[in-house]
Amino acid sequence: MRFLARRLLLLVAVLLAVTFCGFSAMNLLGDPLTNVVGVLAELDCDAIAAGTAPDTTVDAASSDCDTVAAARAQYHLDRAVPMRYLLWLGDLAIGDFGTSFQNDQPVSAVLREKLPETLLLLVMAQIVSLGIAVPWGVIAAYKANRAFDRGSTVASFGLLSVPNFALGVILLYLLALRWQIFPSAYESGDFTSRLFSLILPALTLGLPLAASYQRLLRTDLITTLQEDYVHMARAKGLPPMRIMFRHALRPSMFSVVTVFGVSTGTLIGGSLIVERIFGIPGIGREIVTAVVRDDFPVVLAIVMVVAIAFVVLNFLVDLLYSWLDPRVRTS
Amino acid sequence: MLSVRDLQVRFATERGTVNAVNGVSFDLHEGKTLAIVGESGSGKSVTAKTLMNLLPRSAHVSGEVTFNGQDVRALAAAGTKHFFGVQMAMVFQDPMTSLNPVKKVGEQIAETLRYHLGRSRSEALSEAQNLLTTVGTPEPERRISQYPHELSGGLRQRVVIAMALACQPRLLIADEPTTAVDVTVQKHLLDMLDELRRERGMALILITHDLGVAHGRADDVAVMYAGRLVEVAAAETLFEDMRHPYTEALLRSIPRINDPAHQRLDPIPGNPPELIDPPDACSFAPRCDYAHADCLDGVPELSGQLGQHRFACLHPTGGEDSISSNRDTPRSGRD
Repeated sequence: MRFLARRLLLLVAVLLAVTFCGFSAMNLLGDPLTNVVGVLAELDCDAIAAGTAPDTTVDAASSDCDTVAAARAQYHLDRAVPMRYLLWLGDLAIGDFGTSFQNDQPVSAVLREKLPETLLLLVMAQIVSLGIAVPWGVIAAYKANRAFDRGSTVASFGLLSVPNFALGVILLYLLALRWQIFPSAYESGDFTSRLFSLILPALTLGLPLAASYQRLLRTDLITTLQEDYVHMARAKGLPPMRIMFRHALRPSMFSVVTVFGVSTGTLIGGSLIVERIFGIPGIGREIVTAVVRDDFPVVLAIVMVVAIAFVVLNFLVDLLYSWLDPRVRTS
Repeated sequence: MLSVRDLQVRFATERGTVNAVNGVSFDLHEGKTLAIVGESGSGKSVTAKTLMNLLPRSAHVSGEVTFNGQDVRALAAAGTKHFFGVQMAMVFQDPMTSLNPVKKVGEQIAETLRYHLGRSRSEALSEAQNLLTTVGTPEPERRISQYPHELSGGLRQRVVIAMALACQPRLLIADEPTTAVDVTVQKHLLDMLDELRRERGMALILITHDLGVAHGRADDVAVMYAGRLVEVAAAETLFEDMRHPYTEALLRSIPRINDPAHQRLDPIPGNPPELIDPPDACSFAPRCDYAHADCLDGVPELSGQLGQHRFACLHPTGGEDSISSNRDTPRSGRD
């Protein structure tokens, strides 16, 4: 219980730090008013209101000035940045993420629309990579320093050194265009067709991750296989694969689980590119356009979602540690 | 029941070939105890691991091991199921490391019952509980759902023994089963092993560096040095009439109950020899009080036939006429 409370506190602290930094950066780099209203920000509305502006612009500008004033009010742009941040936080507390600059959509609607696709992609990528890495690592450790293991070392370094966009294009060419096993682009529609069309992107994201998991698991397994209790299990006459999966695997998962926890950030970075290659309407694509246009309500909301995901996932990882090793529970 | 003939184990290492076991032969009969005694590095544990097929792939093994007429090494090579752990089982030296830290004690015992004997999970667990009672564990019903780190060293070793006994093996190999546990628990465990052996009529190979442990428990004693058997005899014969200087030195290096207080022990000078490229000589000669020049000419062979009192020494001590008066029976571990 205290553990949980500490974690929640940590979550709040992380969110505050992340959003404050993000908010400040988005507000200080470039003029937010320009980002909201574009060229209208150049208007000298004070002069127009005071009637001192050149006559020619007055008629057209008075309605524009209303727009500018509305924007200032909506985004609290007449306040200092720390105050703006507090007001933004206040809105957030009542569930108001603000409105996107780009299309006047509420940010919550953007999230609701784009987030599920990205989440699905990330979950599939993790499942794919673990599903590949565990058997791969087990066999490599079992056949340590023999032909299979040497080959798989080369293969995993290969996968780790190919950048996402290249791997995506290679997979796309082979599996979608040449052998036509998977669709080449995202397909909206029912859940199964979405799922099916996300396999290729998930492989693109998951294969390099599988390679790094495999390296870690192999090394840890080789160490575990030297343990007395593995010899004991062999002396009990248990077959090798049973020993691998029932005795050696669990105590060898620590590094994999740790990297699993911190890989989310990398995966989201990777999904920016992958979503573009495969045309997936996820937040990865959204955040790129939002950053370019300084659409800070959208950027901040996405940053927050990522931070929450990160903290929650690492909380789960801590729970996993104690499941993996009962000694963690008592200490 | 178990017969080992000319067992050789070599490991290829970067520094050269390690001759860990050199031509070991012995027999063990149903229900008997054989103690294999020697210092660390004498090859006794490697011998045990060879019997159980636990050596790494880098080991090169030759020789013959037969168990009730079956060729054990062929069984191992063929991956025969339900032999190791069922016919032959082993107890390891260190109970702190030989239990899997992430599995409950009960599951670890039940596992063999489920795999080898096809018991259901609940049957296996209740049998595991009975086994824990057999090996004298208090509160067995609580122990089966505990993790190894929650148990003391002595209890863990009892769990390891219960695990080895689960499938009623005909031969139990105990590799220094009490070295890593508290002195106060050692005697209990050894006596319990002895009693279980008698009750179940199983054979026991007791590997130890302590001749005292062998005394009163072993039917036969085999003394190993530098990968070779240097003296093999029935236990009474060996303690009455030891012939190899190494056996004598081993005995002198352990405390005896009849010794006056504060008597210094007699350690064996020097260290066991390297097993890489051993010289063609008696390997104990450099440390031996009785060494002559001819000890350096070739490795002495074991005298006599299998089953007799055999020793590998050109200048044996003792003999009928000269049982030295200062040779007491050793501390038996029972005192």
